[in-house]
Amino acid sequence: MFLTRSEYDRGVSTFSPEGRLFQVEYSLEAIKLGSTAVGIKTKDGVILGVEKRANSKLMESGSINKIEEIEKHIGCAFSGLTADARMMIDHARVEATNHAFNYDEPTSVETLTQSVCDLALRFGESGEGQERVMSRPFGVALLIAGYDERLGPQLYHTEPTGTFYMYDAKAIGSGSEGAQAELQQKYYSNMTMAEAEILLLKVLKQVMEEKLEAKNVQLAKVTKEGFQLYTTEELEKLVADLPADVDQDELAELS
Amino acid sequence: MSRFNPYGDSSGGSSLAIAGADFAILAGDTRHSTGFSIDSRDQSQIADLGDGLFLTSNGFSADAKQLVDDLRTQIKWYHHNNNDHKLSISAAARTTMMLLYGKRFFPYYVNPIMIGMADDGTGAVYSFDPLGSYDREPSRAAGHASELLMPFLDNQVTFANQLDPQTGEPRKRLDLDLQTAVDLVKDAFTGAAERQVQVGDTLEIVILTKDGVDRQYYDLRRD
Repeated sequence: MFLTRSEYDRGVSTFSPEGRLFQVEYSLEAIKLGSTAVGIKTKDGVILGVEKRANSKLMESGSINKIEEIEKHIGCAFSGLTADARMMIDHARVEATNHAFNYDEPTSVETLTQSVCDLALRFGESGEGQERVMSRPFGVALLIAGYDERLGPQLYHTEPTGTFYMYDAKAIGSGSEGAQAELQQKYYSNMTMAEAEILLLKVLKQVMEEKLEAKNVQLAKVTKEGFQLYTTEELEKLVADLPADVDQDELAELS
Repeated sequence: MSRFNPYGDSSGGSSLAIAGADFAILAGDTRHSTGFSIDSRDQSQIADLGDGLFLTSNGFSADAKQLVDDLRTQIKWYHHNNNDHKLSISAAARTTMMLLYGKRFFPYYVNPIMIGMADDGTGAVYSFDPLGSYDREPSRAAGHASELLMPFLDNQVTFANQLDPQTGEPRKRLDLDLQTAVDLVKDAFTGAAERQVQVGDTLEIVILTKDGVDRQYYDLRRD
């Protein structure tokens, strides 16, 4: 259905007769081309993980950054167009700083997510009193992980459509379908952070084309203490301790 | 030729606040006057902002009224933007600062005092100057009789610069109990009404505890 082109393909502010905005729908496709990102919420915090796809052996994998800190208590992983993500993250950082300045308190994770989604709709022709920031929809989805006093650990998924939902565990990007199915099966609500680390790496391992290594994944956690990226040493240890290729639980189930 | 003065001298009388370990008190008289003439004998000056916050702002009363409107609008928008979450007293204090400093070059001629229960369950008093400089304090008085009320509070609430006669050490601040604090408020206003013509008629006291709000009224001199 996407292959049938129509004149409603081009304008970002024109509905098709069936009531669709094609450019917005295509932006969702851009995310499906992105590298996989996974987020898992536990009672103690949230873990974010992404695969880092190096285009060339000569590329420095350390220069690929797909998880960013927004505020001390909020981090975000993304999949899709990296440059678009940077615009949204910049916006989120400004909003978070403004909230702290205006209210003398850290912004709640939901409020921050909402303000990112407000930006998602600022494309096309400019509305009255609102600055137009983009000519097209953002081609990026975010997993926003945070911890606040009101709701504790939280995980939100935002889309270019400007909607957001709260999740216990969510995968986005090229491997998201397989990863989400796996999360659906393996996630349980009283998971510890250590168990979530292992589940996240297992899920990534399953959907990644390359072999999982410390240098082609990036992990971060947000707990009561705040946002923290995993160091290379921590990643190396986690990857090394990961159970062997075949899932032991599944083997047990089969036999 | 006299120049137009944007600030009038119509004002509520005086107000006073005391913070305790588990309560906060805000009190004010209900006399409203312009110069030496009494406009009203029953004009409450304690505004209920919602979210368990109460505010008095002594000074020019039209500005005080506008500040309350501004704050109510801000609180409404905070609820819209933050999933109806309650505005904490510390966030409300910062909001008040932003409103006051936002009028840095045509200030509201007011000295606001705000009370509420802090997140940790203690009573909180925040006081402001007209430009927004603010602080959390154990007690504060503002308005016409602030020069009479404040030294009394310094002496009876904070025990400022007093030595313990037994030990000779600086006298330690006690955690006031609610009844003692209410009695102090009554004494302070009875004294102030004696010497300040703009203070009198009725004393209105708002008492905030974890259980809610209690309003009490006491007669003051009416002359």
